[in-house]
Amino acid sequence: MVSKRFVAKRLLLLVPVLFGVATVVFAILHLAPGDPARLIAGQRASREQYRAVREALGLNQPLWRQYLDFLVNAVQFNFGRSYQPGGFGRPVREVIADTLPVTIELAVYGQLIGILIGIPLGILSAVKQDSLTDHATRIGALSGISVPIFWSGPLLILAVATPPLSLFPTSGRIGVGFTPGSDFTRHTGLVTVDTLLSGNLPAFVDAVQHLFLPSLVIGIYSTALISRMMRSSMLEVVRQDYVRTARAKGQGERITLMKHGFRNALIPVVTIIGIQFGTLLGGAVLTETVFGIGGIGTTLVAAISNQNYPVVQGTVLTFALLFTLVNLGVDVTYSYLDPRIDQ
Amino acid sequence: MSTPTESDVPTESRGLLERIRASPFLSELLQSRIAVAGLVIIATMVAVAIYSRVQMLFLAAPEGGLTSLRALSEAVSAGPTPVTDSRLGAGVEDRAPPGWAGAAPLDQQLFGTDQQARDIYSRTLYGAWLALKWGTITVGLSTVAGVGLGIVAAYYGDVTDNVIMRTMDVLLAFPSLLLALALVAIFPEDLGLVRAVAALTLVYTPRFARVVRGAALKVLEDEYIDATVALGAADPRVLVRHILPNCLAPITVQSTLNFGLAIIDLAALSFLGFGAQAGTPSWGLMLSNGVEFGLLSGRWWMSFFPGLFLAVTVLGFNLLGDGMRDALDPRMREAID
Amino acid sequence: MDVDPLLEWARPRLRVLGTALAAGFALGVAATVVLPVVVGQTARVKTFAVGALLLGFGTLGWSGSAMAGRGIENAQRYMDTGSDWSEDDSRRAMTRVGSFGAGLMLAVPLVTAARG
Repeated sequence: MVSKRFVAKRLLLLVPVLFGVATVVFAILHLAPGDPARLIAGQRASREQYRAVREALGLNQPLWRQYLDFLVNAVQFNFGRSYQPGGFGRPVREVIADTLPVTIELAVYGQLIGILIGIPLGILSAVKQDSLTDHATRIGALSGISVPIFWSGPLLILAVATPPLSLFPTSGRIGVGFTPGSDFTRHTGLVTVDTLLSGNLPAFVDAVQHLFLPSLVIGIYSTALISRMMRSSMLEVVRQDYVRTARAKGQGERITLMKHGFRNALIPVVTIIGIQFGTLLGGAVLTETVFGIGGIGTTLVAAISNQNYPVVQGTVLTFALLFTLVNLGVDVTYSYLDPRIDQ
Repeated sequence: MSTPTESDVPTESRGLLERIRASPFLSELLQSRIAVAGLVIIATMVAVAIYSRVQMLFLAAPEGGLTSLRALSEAVSAGPTPVTDSRLGAGVEDRAPPGWAGAAPLDQQLFGTDQQARDIYSRTLYGAWLALKWGTITVGLSTVAGVGLGIVAAYYGDVTDNVIMRTMDVLLAFPSLLLALALVAIFPEDLGLVRAVAALTLVYTPRFARVVRGAALKVLEDEYIDATVALGAADPRVLVRHILPNCLAPITVQSTLNFGLAIIDLAALSFLGFGAQAGTPSWGLMLSNGVEFGLLSGRWWMSFFPGLFLAVTVLGFNLLGDGMRDALDPRMREAID
Repeated sequence: MDVDPLLEWARPRLRVLGTALAAGFALGVAATVVLPVVVGQTARVKTFAVGALLLGFGTLGWSGSAMAGRGIENAQRYMDTGSDWSEDDSRRAMTRVGSFGAGLMLAVPLVTAARG
């Protein structure tokens, strides 16, 4: 079973992971074209103003010193203030704290839809291999990964969220009638959770309506990926000997598949779900753009195009941390599913 | 067309035909309905792309007609065309597709127009040319880089192999779109679409390196390579003459599967503003236009048509790739995901 | 012969680390001396940054292999992908990449200091 030592070891490994990402991110800043000091000071700044900004950014320090300072700050998740033309904006830490829950909420709902539909669909497809159901599922899944999120999203909006139907709001994550802070208190940053915790039911319903379409868009994509994986993994397991033995003992075909196949077929699928979580985050970036939801994905995109490097550094490090933590969770689930693996 | 008789066919090409007929890969591939459906879709898209490119060249042709292809293609990229520039005020209105309220006559603007009154039909068709062209460049570059790295890793083994392949593994662990976004930040903005191509090439190379290394190792295991080495053939000759031809099938499958992904990712980067320059009729940019100007005004055609072409093209490559993978020798199939 | 077990353990690892570090340092010195003449002063910053990129990448790969190592090995056993991936190889390769980068990074300030 999962030992505490195993989890502790994995958590300890987060240190080099974060050191590695922070170093890469430092490199990106210095490899990227453009002069951040010039960007902040503006093209018409005087020599003194420009020098002052350089000093404020620490760019006048020797390189190794800049690197060490950056590492010390990054460990504390301090990336300074975001750039704005003509000065500095909000602290990056605040920006991340505001936008990260938005993306997590989307990704989790999308992933849930994918798991709840994708796994049964994959099993069905494998059990009825080469039947019409199987072919339909496979073609459906193949279409699901071929349809880009930035097409399925707009189409869904045009179909059900604009007149004449107008069943759902077209953008945002909660209506303008509800103000975070006054209508519901911020506990987690996840609107669906916060509104519930505050006991504001109309706000909760409104938040669910807002998040339904974007989650669905991610969910469709995730369903396609997971069902494909589940099918091939299931078929793989069925081919293995012990299932054949169980079948020879005279149990019904379907029970055999379920009993022996499911648990074992789930193992690679769990791994894939972890790895695929990153793809999902990429999908969340696109979904946020389509639905005008200000998550960490749109923040990263905006920061890259504005050369707002502190924000780029902070968001990239956050993405890496998130990705690693999810895979840590996957690892733990994995060892739970497969007790044969000794830790 | 007359069927060539035995004597018409030169010996060499007859050998090729026979080899194709005898190849279990190709014959199985052609029996797969999925693969054939993919092939048909891709062929159609290629035809559309070439048609719209040729049409564009004629539109841009100077008074004297066709002079040289180079002059033409320069004229296309320089001059204002109905495909790239706003048509507002040019006597063309902002229109819905035929059959809808406020629609154009049936022979004009089949897919309607966008907010700048540009004809979506010709833009979407031209988008096929752009997608296939840049997709080919991206996949081509990563294939070449991946093949090189994979073969070198397999042939030299040991430290070289480890450093190359483990580096590839780490790159593979990152989600492709996020990695591409992080890489895009390193390249200067004025590179435009080239910036996206460069980032995606770096993202895709590991996939090819892994497939090629796996296939190359299997070839190297066969005795005849040992024999060639014993006869004193120089390294590059062994690599190129013996390993490469035998890796061709898995490389082709990986390229096909990756082609669909490349088209989607290129469009996604353009959609997010890191690809094609404003005005370019790329599908990703048209979709971004559709979200910005088409959603609230209900101009569904701005998103629908470019997205449909994009999805169908990608589906074509995914169908063909899936069919190919099933037709592939199981020994080679392992390395491809 | 009485060999210290710690030394026994450390020696091959230090050799991998040291060789790559030295190689990186040598290249870094060369780059810091030659490149500024050819492409200008930004070359030092870029050399340092490339070193940081490699160091970060190597560390990431090293910890990634240690963290996901078992998982990947098992997933590959299950999926029968027939690759000979192993955690040990991966960590050794990443140590090489990382220390090469560290060597590059070290060279830049040292050369700069030496030349004033």
